[in-house]
Amino acid sequence: MDPDELEFLGEKVYVSIIPTFNNDGIHLISGDLGPFRASLPVNVPLWVAVSLKRQKKCKIQPPDWMDMQKLEYIKEQEKQSSGFTKMPSDHYMVEAKLLLECAPDDIPRADEVRTIIKDIWDIRMSKIRSSVTKLVKNSDFYAAVDNLTVMEINSVRPILPHALDHLFRMKNTEKTRPTQSSNVSSFLLSKRASTSFHLSPVTSSNTED
Amino acid sequence: MYGENGYTLIKELARSEDNLPPYNAELVTHISREIKKIYDENQIDAQQSINENIEASILNTIRVRNAVTKRNVRCLMAYHFNRLKCLRTMRWEFGSILPADIKSNLSTAEIEWFSKYSRLLANYMRSIGEDGVNLSIDLKPPKALYIEVQCLVDYGKFDLNDGTTLLLKKDSRHYLPRNECEELIRQGVFKHII
Amino acid sequence: MEDLTIDDLDNISTGSDDHVQITPAEVIEMMEEAWTNEKFAPEILPNKSEIVDIILDQITTMEENIKKLSSSDFTKSIYQLEVDRLRFLVSSYLRTRLEKIETYVIHILKEEEKRVERGSEKYLTEQEFEFAKEFSFTMEQYFDKMMRFYPGVPADTWSNKIIQPNNNTFVFLKSKKRIEGVPIDEGNAESDLVDIQDGSRVIISYNSVAELVKNGDVHLI
Repeated sequence: MDPDELEFLGEKVYVSIIPTFNNDGIHLISGDLGPFRASLPVNVPLWVAVSLKRQKKCKIQPPDWMDMQKLEYIKEQEKQSSGFTKMPSDHYMVEAKLLLECAPDDIPRADEVRTIIKDIWDIRMSKIRSSVTKLVKNSDFYAAVDNLTVMEINSVRPILPHALDHLFRMKNTEKTRPTQSSNVSSFLLSKRASTSFHLSPVTSSNTED
Repeated sequence: MYGENGYTLIKELARSEDNLPPYNAELVTHISREIKKIYDENQIDAQQSINENIEASILNTIRVRNAVTKRNVRCLMAYHFNRLKCLRTMRWEFGSILPADIKSNLSTAEIEWFSKYSRLLANYMRSIGEDGVNLSIDLKPPKALYIEVQCLVDYGKFDLNDGTTLLLKKDSRHYLPRNECEELIRQGVFKHII
Repeated sequence: MEDLTIDDLDNISTGSDDHVQITPAEVIEMMEEAWTNEKFAPEILPNKSEIVDIILDQITTMEENIKKLSSSDFTKSIYQLEVDRLRFLVSSYLRTRLEKIETYVIHILKEEEKRVERGSEKYLTEQEFEFAKEFSFTMEQYFDKMMRFYPGVPADTWSNKIIQPNNNTFVFLKSKKRIEGVPIDEGNAESDLVDIQDGSRVIISYNSVAELVKNGDVHLI
């Protein structure tokens, strides 16, 4: 999936904003937002928050976990654990990216937050790489990926599914290797004319033989 | 060598990644002739081998010829098929009217296919929902309607749709509705800051 | 937005004849799920045209409302952005299906025919079916013309190759309930069974879970 599309999915997460305006409410198809009272916090989807922030109509309250103390703890846990720890949000990377981009002034120690989230991502990515290697080496055709977030899952696509596809195919051709085909005899026998052609790309990965 | 033309044809297409090279009618004809020639030779030998005692060497020859033909057919199909795939992408990029420089690289059959596909697609898009949906727009998830731009020249006054007037000075930065500044971005007055 | 009442929404209803109260927000969620499922499933899935139609209707209504807003109203841009987001969602979903239809056209038409014969649920919408038929016809016409150079060659024996989706491909999914005894496809005759917990995420062969995707027990991610 395209990074833009992942962002699109992450943007529906709700965040709290402090509006600088008064408004009786915005009635979206996806639900009602507001009413908005200046300096009273209210929850809106991330895409709305970003748009309002850009129009200088609100301050954004960073999510609880976007806090140095909490992030230090998460990083430490991630380092010590052999598996993957549960992230505070399934879209933590998208939230971090968007909020740090449009509202760094609303996030305490924004630069440090940026760095530590990147660190956590890196630790997790190196674990992902070694798990993928292990999975492929064992040719396991099933694995639980419970604590992986959608962006992390996306980072092993298409490599991991493709690698498993190939392993799967190799395993299957070993068993069902066709006997030297009877091409010649069918060539000799087949005298009927036909113009019924179907499409066939050179790469045969998706064709049926 | 048998099969070499087919390889050349595919290579030529693969080399030129995104832009479609001119339709190579000459090579296609060569390969077609090769297929026909080998096929006829095989027919004669096959007939003979049925009538007389089958010699192993003839069988092997037939096998090899058969493989060459198979390969040639595959190359031709892949060539034509992948060109159509490329044309399809262009329909989504350029709409129903192809730029002249692309059109000149197509065979008559390809041009014909393109206009059929184009019509088909238009009919389908018209048939969705109550009043149709143009699927060739909204290709990317929408980003904020406002974008940040930097002014590259001393432009002077600029009226926005909401009635406010901006003074655009060189190097000044503004946060504006995307649709209202697109024109000035194209003209080189603004630079979009990402 | 007020709630919608949907009478005959087979894919959504609980199977009873009662009206199902369903909010537009829930419809959007279904659309998002249909979109990611369609993106990650190798084969074409049963169409969700009811959901598409509801969203298109909502978009039309909202666009009418937006026109009435003054352009100095800053909320206008929020309304517009939501409409654009939904339009992207629906278009991308329909495009993904169209791409599959084009790539696997012969295979898809054959399968659809079998479904019609069996009297089971059709996967394509009427419009998609129409498109698929015409598309298949133009392709056939074109290749007939291109491959006509050697009359009598029994092309069938080597070039009747239909492109079909690779349903052995591996997918990631999130389970929406506890599911017992999902076979792990290893290409063996007998396969290990695995239980998938509610809410858990796994990577598994699409073949093993195709039915679960279609009935909504799992969601491809």
